[in-house]
Amino acid sequence: MNGAHFVVQALKEQNITQVFGYPGGAIMPLYDALFDGGVEHLLCRHEQGAAMAAIGYARATGKVGVCIATSGPGATNLITGLADALLDSIPIIAITGQVPTHLIGTDAFQEVDVLGLSLACTKHSFMVQSAEELGPIIEQAFEIATTGRPGPVLIDIPKDIQVGPSVAHALAKLVNSDKQLNSKRIEQAKSMIESAKQPLLYIGGGVGMANAVEELRDFIQETKIPSVCTLKAIGCVPHHSPYFMGMVGMHGSKASNLAIQECDLLIAVGARFDDRVTGKLDEFAPNAKVIHLDIDAAEIDKLRQVTLSMTDNLKQVLPAIKAKTNIAPWQKQVAKMKIDYANRYDHPGEPIFAPALLRKLAEIMPTDTVICSDVGQHQMWVAQHMFVDRPENHISSSGLGTMGFGVPAAVGAQVARPNDTVIAVSGDGSFMMNVQELGTIKRKQLPVKILLIDNQRLGMVRQWQELFFNGRYSETILTDNPDFVTLASAFDIPGETIVTKSQIDQALQRLLKSEGPYLLHVSISEEENVWPLVPPGAANDQMMESVG
Amino acid sequence: MKSLLIIEAKKSPEFLERLLRVCRHRGFTVDSINAETGSVKQVSHITLTVCSERDISLLTKQIEKIVGVLQVATLQQEQNIKATA
Ligand SMILES: Cc1ncc(C[n+]2csc(CCOP(=O)(O)OP(=O)(O)O)c2C)c(N)n1
Repeated sequence: MNGAHFVVQALKEQNITQVFGYPGGAIMPLYDALFDGGVEHLLCRHEQGAAMAAIGYARATGKVGVCIATSGPGATNLITGLADALLDSIPIIAITGQVPTHLIGTDAFQEVDVLGLSLACTKHSFMVQSAEELGPIIEQAFEIATTGRPGPVLIDIPKDIQVGPSVAHALAKLVNSDKQLNSKRIEQAKSMIESAKQPLLYIGGGVGMANAVEELRDFIQETKIPSVCTLKAIGCVPHHSPYFMGMVGMHGSKASNLAIQECDLLIAVGARFDDRVTGKLDEFAPNAKVIHLDIDAAEIDKLRQVTLSMTDNLKQVLPAIKAKTNIAPWQKQVAKMKIDYANRYDHPGEPIFAPALLRKLAEIMPTDTVICSDVGQHQMWVAQHMFVDRPENHISSSGLGTMGFGVPAAVGAQVARPNDTVIAVSGDGSFMMNVQELGTIKRKQLPVKILLIDNQRLGMVRQWQELFFNGRYSETILTDNPDFVTLASAFDIPGETIVTKSQIDQALQRLLKSEGPYLLHVSISEEENVWPLVPPGAANDQMMESVG
Repeated sequence: MKSLLIIEAKKSPEFLERLLRVCRHRGFTVDSINAETGSVKQVSHITLTVCSERDISLLTKQIEKIVGVLQVATLQQEQNIKATA
């Protein structure tokens, strides 16, 4: 068995059944091995698409996503996807071909120092230097990607190692590494929760990553502590729970942001006090003691000094800190805020109001539909107005905010979950950033649904230009967009355009009922903004709101 | 504020790059560095003085996350460093 066949074998041993990638010179031996089958390869039309498909695959399932690229330009094209996975803590493995060992460092054809490039955008990276290393490195890569705080790992494999003989390697048995909880801290947490009058859960992406959604829901069920969530944690708490107020932060709900400012105990669960969440940091939850639960010790006291922290597995900690609460007045206040500041969908006129359309879609889409969002205003509208059953069903580039993420992520999610409905919600700007992935959809006949919200603008940037740059619309006007329905039809993807409210219901039905892929192109006013908005540098209670 | 870090890590060709990148990215300038690798145990010993307005724990926690790091010890404050020098 040569090194390349060994890699395919090792992927199989790691239960990898599908990988995403793009071939080229230095990775040809691996593609030759893939040709024999065993692991299905999906050809994306750009390595960035392959990386984001791997992310979509990982996020929709909780499993590891794998992407493959050649050396040089193939590897550099992966970088944005790796950075995206790093900021959102997503377990993916990137395998890159490298020029043969003896040519490394000679500026050989398609040689780039990929290990050097990877340092800032992976959790860890390896360059394989001998056949003996290949097995142990692949095993370690999977372990590093999935344990502790997950993240992307890159393996750079020179071509001579792919074609040379391999060395057998037996997989070690993984041991469960749960630590014993610190009973003093558990008691302290419980007593802080018991004595708090206005406690609040600030729920982050770590809950889904730790597979601790059930434990969190149990905790909430028993303690009835009100909660808010980050963009990545949408789906952790059922949206109809009486004391759940939705997303917090720059485009968070008014109720969430006010509750944060008023709480006396903030319990941060798998969250990291990101600036888009906190607004002005020293005025975030100004009256609160903080309990911070996060697997990554480097997150503790990074931005907010906390009263108590625990870096254990959330699955263990959450059940252990359940405590009696006596917070009826606070619950009443929260429930009232939730009603008083509820979103409104009574928008005047015939033009389509995207928040209302997205709300409608959320109400009628099948259980376990996966929403993959792109980046911009439409992303925030999805977060504010849609709801999903679990965090794996809301896939949004949160930490990196990567335009072009939605369609390839939907490709990955659909491959991973062929029986669930997968909808990419994109904007006219973002859609064009990885539009080549329509080719992947066509090739594999993936039934991905695309909801394209077209304001003929780079809307999110346009909104900031309107509000903070005196309406100077520098390079954000896209009135020269292509005809999107025609574009999709070139990939055999049927579609339609709608422009008025009365068309919405039937068009959404056609989108959901289509057997194969479908593009619903929704034309909206260029003037719509995302509200509320906490302006940069302001505290979260200094929200700007719609004047309408 | 200056701090002295003593780091032990598994030997690897790119370890110093990883370490120095983390220092710079997290807001610490490296004032001096000494690195030695024992031939027997394949362990690198690195002594580093860094300087920053930021709390040194922000850096040490990040360094502890670098794969291959075995141990990180810190001596803070200029005086301490002088005293041990
Ligand atoms: C790769 C990348 N480039 C630039 C940006 C900056 N950016 C953020 S939102 C946005 C506009 C997005 O426009 P569109 O996809 O049409 O969505 P809309 O905001 O109009 O809903 C831009 C340019 C980004 N987030 N990602």
